[in-house]
Amino acid sequence: MAHTQGREHLRKTKSNKGQMRVVEALLASLVILVAITFINVFAVAPSSSMYEASESEKVGYNVLHDLDEQGLLCRFVYNKEWENLTAALMTSLPPDVYFDLTVYYLNDTVVNEGVPIRYGNPNIFETSGSVASVSYIVPGYQTNYDPKILVLQLVRE
Amino acid sequence: MIMGRLVKQKQGQFIVIAALMISIMIVSIGAIMYGAVTYFRYERWEEYLAIIDNVKLGSHRLVEMSLASHTLTLDNATLKNNLDQWRSNITKAYPGFGLNLAYSNASGSQYVYDVNINYSCGLARYWYNETSFSVANVTFTLDITSVGLSGYEFTAIAFLRMRILDVAWSSSDKDLSIYLTVEREGLTPVTNLKKSNFQVEVAGYDSVDFTVTQYYSGTYDSFIYEIRCDSILAQPSSVEVTAVDARNIKVIANSTVT
Repeated sequence: MAHTQGREHLRKTKSNKGQMRVVEALLASLVILVAITFINVFAVAPSSSMYEASESEKVGYNVLHDLDEQGLLCRFVYNKEWENLTAALMTSLPPDVYFDLTVYYLNDTVVNEGVPIRYGNPNIFETSGSVASVSYIVPGYQTNYDPKILVLQLVRE
Repeated sequence: MIMGRLVKQKQGQFIVIAALMISIMIVSIGAIMYGAVTYFRYERWEEYLAIIDNVKLGSHRLVEMSLASHTLTLDNATLKNNLDQWRSNITKAYPGFGLNLAYSNASGSQYVYDVNINYSCGLARYWYNETSFSVANVTFTLDITSVGLSGYEFTAIAFLRMRILDVAWSSSDKDLSIYLTVEREGLTPVTNLKKSNFQVEVAGYDSVDFTVTQYYSGTYDSFIYEIRCDSILAQPSSVEVTAVDARNIKVIANSTVT
């Protein structure tokens, strides 16, 4: 009888230990879940407009740099081949990107005054919330040092 | 009741403590990752790289332009004047970035592109020989203080070399054939020259009419230009060839006639 009672007590103790394990595991999971939730609060994605402008700037720089490497950019700018420059930019940029390029002398006067180098509605550059702007300097052409600054504005449709 | 048991169960405490430590690690790693990711995400690295590319390409163009001007005017001050203006002007294109461009013109003797070059103010000309060249060599150091970039160094070299490989006069056809190669930096063959890029002077003749053909020669194992001058009735003592490439860099080579 005593032997049977002892076995019964042992079984109950083991059962209690098993319950405790479940409670502990639940507590441990809860602690880790709280930690992960706490981390996720800080994982805030940047605003899309900031991303958008940054991506467009990257594209703009690459296009100007590629045209410059090929020797076309200086030829178009210094020979004032604005139509060719517009066509080159339209060809190089993705079709859903509108652009407006202004060429400046060092004293900030505009070289292409009255001749817009543009693709897209001019209003979109004023109304859009994410206009990317890229500056690029060219030192001169052939043997003449005569730097000009190009400012390319880009908006994705 | 349960909490009392929990306190008594020492093995169970270990699991909770382990979970707490894992949580602390997750939070710590998360904090570090947050700092690193936001720094790299919001810092405009692409823009800085683009500025560096623009300054590098512009500086290279400037050196080419200055060499072209020097070879056409023989003015030794062109390069220095242009460089001084350039380092001042680029800050206008990128205001607020803290751009500072320093330069150092090559000087002394250097062995580059299979030739010994004696620089003076970053420029060197070695003309009126069978192998003639024009070269400019400037080392730039760029700082962008707004991002803590300091001492980014790059070299801009503009080089044009002409080698007269052979000059042969034919007594039967009464013409003169000049075989030559034109190479730029990296000893890359210049393949886009036309007749208008060359001038030929034959000793004893006021003017000569010539044609230019270009092809790959197995004999010389390189891309060559053949300049054929007609109506050369007697064997001349020497010829002088002037080449101006698409960048307007000039080089003049001389050779005796065999």
